Order: sequence, then structure tokens, then C-alpha cells
Amino acid sequence: MHWFYLGIAVVFEIAVAIAAGKAQGFTRPAWTAATLVSGGIATYLLSLALLTFDVGVGYAIWTSVAGVGIVVLGALFFGQRLGWRKLLGIVAVIVGVVGLQLSGAV
Amino acid sequence: MSSETATAHSDRARAWLVLLLAGAFEVGYALAVGGSQGFTVLSWSLVAVVFFLLTLFALSLALRTIDVGIGYAVWAGIGAVGAALLGPVFFGETLTPAKALWLTVIIAGVVWLKLSDSLERRQTERPARP
Repeated sequence: MHWFYLGIAVVFEIAVAIAAGKAQGFTRPAWTAATLVSGGIATYLLSLALLTFDVGVGYAIWTSVAGVGIVVLGALFFGQRLGWRKLLGIVAVIVGVVGLQLSGAV
Repeated sequence: MSSETATAHSDRARAWLVLLLAGAFEVGYALAVGGSQGFTVLSWSLVAVVFFLLTLFALSLALRTIDVGIGYAVWAGIGAVGAALLGPVFFGETLTPAKALWLTVIIAGVVWLKLSDSLERRQTERPARP
């Protein structure tokens, strides 16, 4: 169940990044509200995941996979380049998460 | 140095200070969310809410001056490294060599990813600039 909570928390953290970008320094009320609501949901689900994960482990996976998600969405929907440098970073995050799992640390 | 560049320099220095502060708030946020035990412990839950607002506010302030990719890389890096190192201090968790190794790979990966994002954006934008 903790992986499920963490996965949904990642989705809402990606929403936070998108909404915060559109909020333009929190000058636009609707996007500011969307940022805070998404952040609240992401935080609650992260707290449920952290009932099982170590704080450092769960937090690192959450923030990093969300970071990967933001870049991938940018490439899919906003026409941003996905060059070898970014792919290398994405591969490192995936290798790290799989490594944690295989080493029995999570 | 003209007074204009001096002002720009002190603006940048202040933005970087605010960014480092945002990173510290993010560490506090991560620890408090963990300590809240699924938001059943009132004290940690309140601390988590305060740090959540502080980290968002400080990051958005810093990103007015600092490039978003670089800012996000530094902020996320500080948050993740801080949470990994301080989690064992606060919650009696153990940071085994295997955990430390894979956490390093993950955190280096996301920091590298955000720095690359910033670099590739600037390369794409460059021709448009005078």
C-alpha cells in the first residue's frame, strides 16, 4: 500500500509544480488555490507512505520521481526537448529507485 | 562596477540566500510530514503545515531571480540530502551503506536532470535573444 500512496502523492506533486508555475509568484488566485490544494493532498498521501518508508527514502523517491514526471510531461505535451542529458538523469533516478527496492532497503 | 550592477549582484545574493533557506524549510517539511504519522500527531502536523507554506513561499521568491531549473535542482537536492541525513537523527532510522548508495544515485539523478533541463532551455532560447 505504501507504494500506492507514494505514487498518488507523486501525481499531486506534479500538479503542484504545474499550478505553481501558472500562479506566477502566487499573484493569480485560482492557480494559487490549485497549488495549495494539490500540495495539501500530496503532503497527506506522502505522510501515509512515510508510515512505512524511512523519511529520507520515501521523500527522495517522491520528489525525484515527480521531477522526472514534470520533465517527461514537458516533452510529451509542451514540446520541450528530451536530449541525452535529461535521459541520463531519468535513467539514474529509475536505477536508484530499483536499486533501493532490490537491496531490500524499502 | 556601476551602482546598477552592484544592485543586481546583491539581488542575486539575496535570492540565493532565500533559495538556501527554502531548502532548509523543505528539510523541515519532510521531517515533519514523517513525524506527523499520517497527520495523527498534532504538533508535527502543525509544523508540517508551517514548513509547507514557508518552503513554497521562499522557493517562489527565489525563482523570481534564479533560473527555475537551477533553483529547483538546488532546492530538491538540499531537501533530499537533508531528509536522508536527519531522518535517522530524529526517528531512529538507520542509513545503511546500500540505502546511502542508492539515495545518492537518485538525488544526483534528479539534480542532474533539472540542471540539464535548465541548460537545454537556455540553448533553445538563445537564438531568440538579441
